[in-house]
Amino acid sequence: MLPMFVELVTRTDEDRRGFETHPVVVDAVAHGMSVERYRALLLELYHVVWQFNPVCAAAASRMGSPADEALQPIRHFLYGHMHEEMGHENWVLNDLVAVGVPVAVARSHPPGVHTLALNGYNYWAADRRHPASVLGMLYALEVIASVYGGPFASAMREALLLDGDQGVSFIASHATMDAQHMAELRVILNQLRGAAALDAVVESVRVNFHQFTRIIDSI
Amino acid sequence: MGLLGRPYKTLRLEWTGETRLLRVRTGVRPIQCYSLAAMAELQQVLADISANPGLVRYFVLSSDVPKVFNFGGDLALFVLLVRAADVESLKLYGQRCVDLVWWMEHAAQRGVYTIALSQGDTLGGGLESVLPFHKIIFERSAQAGFPEVLFNLFPGMGAWDFTIRKAGFAVASEMVLSGRLYSAEELHHRKLVDTVVDDGAGDLAIERAVHDVEPRHRGVLTALRGQRLAAPVHRSSLDAIVDLWAESALSLTDRDLRLMERLARAQARKAGGADEGAVEEIKRMELENAWGERRTGLDRRAGSGADRRTRD
Repeated sequence: MLPMFVELVTRTDEDRRGFETHPVVVDAVAHGMSVERYRALLLELYHVVWQFNPVCAAAASRMGSPADEALQPIRHFLYGHMHEEMGHENWVLNDLVAVGVPVAVARSHPPGVHTLALNGYNYWAADRRHPASVLGMLYALEVIASVYGGPFASAMREALLLDGDQGVSFIASHATMDAQHMAELRVILNQLRGAAALDAVVESVRVNFHQFTRIIDSI
Repeated sequence: MGLLGRPYKTLRLEWTGETRLLRVRTGVRPIQCYSLAAMAELQQVLADISANPGLVRYFVLSSDVPKVFNFGGDLALFVLLVRAADVESLKLYGQRCVDLVWWMEHAAQRGVYTIALSQGDTLGGGLESVLPFHKIIFERSAQAGFPEVLFNLFPGMGAWDFTIRKAGFAVASEMVLSGRLYSAEELHHRKLVDTVVDDGAGDLAIERAVHDVEPRHRGVLTALRGQRLAAPVHRSSLDAIVDLWAESALSLTDRDLRLMERLARAQARKAGGADEGAVEEIKRMELENAWGERRTGLDRRAGSGADRRTRD
């Protein structure tokens, strides 16, 4: 039997490639984007990051039964992860300020329908599908950050003549940071047991890649 | 014919009943590489051929993507797996690649004569994948090479074994260790490519190859089986190299991964319609490496000079 992480990578590889090969993503990674579109992306990203820890908390809270003891390592992993991600929405705000969007404007910006759908699904999946589905959200977002974040940050620096990490601090730092997160996520995913849990993670990866692609496509 | 009836996302199959020739054109868009899905589909085609002995007499592999035969490994997947420190998945990927070249290596035993036609960039795993074919045809503007060393990796899915057998140890070492790209003529000169034809003449070259083999198909295949018994490539060697490749991939530094990402980004630019792509990026990397080596060499010489002075 293959380790869970290998199963996950194999079963969702076309979904990852579906994200990677979408023309808008190809263009963004290759050439960056205009400042207007980048602002719009960061405004949507702010809402994804804002909801990230609460989704993790919702999932962790549903791993609370002693009958779910097998999920306990995942619960503890989520605690640690939430601690690390705490306050990162402020990094997005800083980047928004660097590209000319005041904090008040960013905070009052209503999320678009694709962002609402992404966040809505992640809450629903943690609550109703399987609490382990949260690992699918983590996997998709960390793949996006660690594999595509670096080239995208470089493309944005070139496109907008940004200085260092100014304006791309969230994406650039997560590109590096999530490399470590990916290794930790692999370890925790390999501790997952049962087809139902893996199916839920796979579904979550698919939805997260799909919705994130829609977000980028819509800005 | 069930073989042609399957729906494929990354392959286009053509059947010529008269010669029982199956032509497979690969089209992994927008970046033409060996993705897991593309390899699974190719493996399905080969399994169907094996399940119907005697049905296919010629197998031709070419590309549906203009000016690109294959960029080789799925670089974004490699970056993902390296960052996840996932040696199992890297080995699994490598094994799937080796399964494909291993089938080609033994195609003659299945009564199949194999032809690969490259009409464009053939990089890394793309070049490895054609090496076990019985006939390798390149159109004149096609370029090929093993650029992996530029980001501190090496081609791990058959490059060493198949290049050594076909072109010799020195050529294999030169190609793998330099990371440089070679023109079709240079590859022909090194005996790695059997035939070079003008651009656009690849299809005719396939017809000619089939025409030449057809009257003595059985004899040619028996002879080719003998050829491979005389100079065998061992599965154990291919597997051990995959393991080494996967383990060495885990030691790639952030700088190496950035170079890999740079190449992936160049592939994406070309796919997006830009004039320059992976080949131009590799040439830039070669140049940077050459300058780096020259600088390092000068530094080293200066350093050793200082040592001598100290000793003096």
